[in-house]
Amino acid sequence: MIDFFLFLLITLSFLILVYLYRVIQGPTVFDRVLGLAGISTKAIILGVVMGTVYDRVEMFVDISTGYALLNLVGAFAIAKFLEQRGTP
Amino acid sequence: MVVLAIGLILVGVFFLVVAAIGTLRLPDVFSRSHAVSLTDSLGAICVLGGLALYQGFGINMLKILVVLVLLILLNPVIAHATIRAAYRAGLKPQTKEDP
Amino acid sequence: MKPSFPKQFIANTLALFSVWLVLSGKYDNFHLVLGFMASCGVAWLNTGFPNSPFHNFPWVRVVLYSPWLFLRIVESSLHLTKLILNPSLPIKPTLITYRSHLKHRGAIVLLGNSVTLTPGTITVEVNGNTFLVHAIDDTAAKDLTTGRMERKLAWVFQEDTNH
Repeated sequence: MIDFFLFLLITLSFLILVYLYRVIQGPTVFDRVLGLAGISTKAIILGVVMGTVYDRVEMFVDISTGYALLNLVGAFAIAKFLEQRGTP
Repeated sequence: MVVLAIGLILVGVFFLVVAAIGTLRLPDVFSRSHAVSLTDSLGAICVLGGLALYQGFGINMLKILVVLVLLILLNPVIAHATIRAAYRAGLKPQTKEDP
Repeated sequence: MKPSFPKQFIANTLALFSVWLVLSGKYDNFHLVLGFMASCGVAWLNTGFPNSPFHNFPWVRVVLYSPWLFLRIVESSLHLTKLILNPSLPIKPTLITYRSHLKHRGAIVLLGNSVTLTPGTITVEVNGNTFLVHAIDDTAAKDLTTGRMERKLAWVFQEDTNH
């Protein structure tokens, strides 16, 4: 069973690399913000999978919840800033 | 139960991979946001639902479901904020008249 | 049918207290009383504003609405998957202006959220009752333009649909 979860972790890390390509390469700055949102979703799923591997789901779920809320605040700050600055 | 959980997780991983391909292939910001939205809704629902089923009924399942509901509620808000910023900053989406 | 202040207050308190019960995971007397006091305080601060989206919020019918939304998500996800995996990438992005007739502010929030959650359509701007929606395809936009989602939400919030 642990092999399956290791496979899941490796797949999610590879997907994070794909989104990282979009963050580095993206033509506009909004592509980078979208890529960061995608990476944070993967990170939340990654946290829950880690909790399942280590049998400490209740702790890792709390970490994931905090990460989701911080991600919301960060995305709002960046979006508001870019909206008022105009076209990059 | 465990077989069902593994099946759900594999379906979710399939949707996550499709969404990653979508972010690479689609042409502009507005279309790429659809791919990110596909990840956030169906991929996360399937993977986290599979993990919750693997835990069995109990407090851990409820906690994973709380994270899932939080993800469902917050991710559309993030996508909408980013896209609204892009629209107000002057980016125009491609429409079907363009070649 | 306007629920009075105590009824709304009790509903909001119970909704907050259930979240506390799930997240805390400790069921001794001290933590239960602390959580109940905290949810009473937050519910008392947030109840009774008629402009708030949570004014007269129908918690039960929103829970009944979510399976229908899940079916819509699965259906349009399969459609979008077919579009992405197609080698010729046959997308036709359009911007749609949509006027909704819902009055409750919570209904408008829920409609925008559902539109963004459904793959293939995303809310670009909301101005009062007017939505600006970016759709990747005509098929993806059909759910909104035919008014199915709005009728379902009108049932959730018990408003009349004949406009």
